Amino acid sequence: MRPLTEEETKAVFEKLANYIGKNLVHLIDRDEDDAYCFRLHKDRVYYLPLPMLHYATSVARPNLISLGTCFGKFSKTGKFKLGITCLDWLAKYAKYKVWIKPSGELPFLYGNHVAKAHLGRITEDTPEHQGVVVYNMADVPLGFGVTARSTIDTRKLDPTGIIVFHQADVGEFLRDEDTMF
Amino acid sequence: MDVTQQLADYAAATTTAVLDRPNPIITDAGLLAAFDNTPVDADEYGSNLNPHLLALTLTSTQALISSLFALPTKSTSSGPITLLPTPATLLPREKPLPKPKPLTKWERFAKEKGISHKKKEKHVWDEEKQEWVARWGKDGKNREKEGQWLHEVKAGEDADLDPASTARSDRKARIAKNQKQQAANIAAAANQSSTSTSASASSRGVSTLSQEQKKNLRERRKEELHRSMLLSKTATASLGKYDKAIENEPKVKGVKRKFEANVTPTSGKSEKENALDVLHRLETGVGKVKKSKKGGEGDEGGLNVRKAVRFQGKVDRVAGGGAGGKKGGKRK
Repeated sequence: MRPLTEEETKAVFEKLANYIGKNLVHLIDRDEDDAYCFRLHKDRVYYLPLPMLHYATSVARPNLISLGTCFGKFSKTGKFKLGITCLDWLAKYAKYKVWIKPSGELPFLYGNHVAKAHLGRITEDTPEHQGVVVYNMADVPLGFGVTARSTIDTRKLDPTGIIVFHQADVGEFLRDEDTMF
Repeated sequence: MDVTQQLADYAAATTTAVLDRPNPIITDAGLLAAFDNTPVDADEYGSNLNPHLLALTLTSTQALISSLFALPTKSTSSGPITLLPTPATLLPREKPLPKPKPLTKWERFAKEKGISHKKKEKHVWDEEKQEWVARWGKDGKNREKEGQWLHEVKAGEDADLDPASTARSDRKARIAKNQKQQAANIAAAANQSSTSTSASASSRGVSTLSQEQKKNLRERRKEELHRSMLLSKTATASLGKYDKAIENEPKVKGVKRKFEANVTPTSGKSEKENALDVLHRLETGVGKVKKSKKGGEGDEGGLNVRKAVRFQGKVDRVAGGGAGGKKGGKRK
């Protein structure tokens, strides 16, 4: 377990900024008694409260399996990939949101893209290729993805057209249970 | 006792007579300098050098001082002072003339074709506002189309077309094109100067590089040499393990990765500040390479319509003989 280097921090922030934009500052700049930090352990990036960090320092590196919230992992080539486990934080600060109809929930949770027919609601002025958090109509976050079209362009689309490219969904908790943590 | 004779002798022995010169001594009061251009008297110079030099110096100095006293004076509390005139003698330049700047591609072309350069003024008169406005930059005239509330839509134009954004993208494309050309010019100039310096350095032993650049080059070469030496040292069958060590040679150590402390130390910049710094740099885009759109024209920027049209026209001309050329040119 170690703090992130500057390049790593940059990679992580760039990815997070896709989804939460300027709200990223709320993840870093927190109250003194509610401070959190990013730590890297076995190529995975964890976001954890400071008291937890102090506890975790007493655990030997091979014995430490996971701590705090896993935000994603670094590939061998140094790229950062966000994991579904960070959904709670993303959903809290998300700038652009997409709500899907009950009929579209299951296809999305099986790892499919969101089609226009399943789109319930979308944040106004969402640009193209913008990271969005996907909710169901009851405002439960289901995952996140990237918009294929801007909000205005979606109107011209036919019902089978893809609106949001799937990136991660909560179905992964079952599908990728073995490799998740 | 009469000592006047002795005193006169002593005075004659210690004073130096002012020589009379055939050419008047030229003085430059501004530089506090006097020039004596009468040829040297070889006899005097050979027989008694020091007294002769002293006499010459005295003559020139006297001329200089008398010229200084001829200047107008002003009386102040600390005595009379005089302002020296501006120096009349031209002194040679201390440094060599600066080298001419390498020409840009356009300048070369213009020179070849004899096109004279007319400098555009930075401000242009705006008839509507009745004032001078900047040609480019903040509130520039070149952004007029992007800000106006009403646009003329020509017949046959797409209804979806946003004239403001088209004008903006056109302007951005122009900027990108200009930057590309600028970079190419700089690269060409650097290339030319480096080749010319290497050529001239080999032929005359003189280079146009500044001291700083030379130093940097030397440092870089030194580093490279050191590195390749280290690498080649271990290039033996045992990877350097059983080689005979040279006496007093420092041991080469591998560079270890170093990370911040896991639990933040009290001194120095805190982790939060570092993270905020990174975030700020991300937001302001410092150190980011600006992406320029490929090609110039078209909303997507990917397709260069002008080039495509020209290419199509050429193809048609080849296929259908001269007549097809014009038709092909109009096709989109």
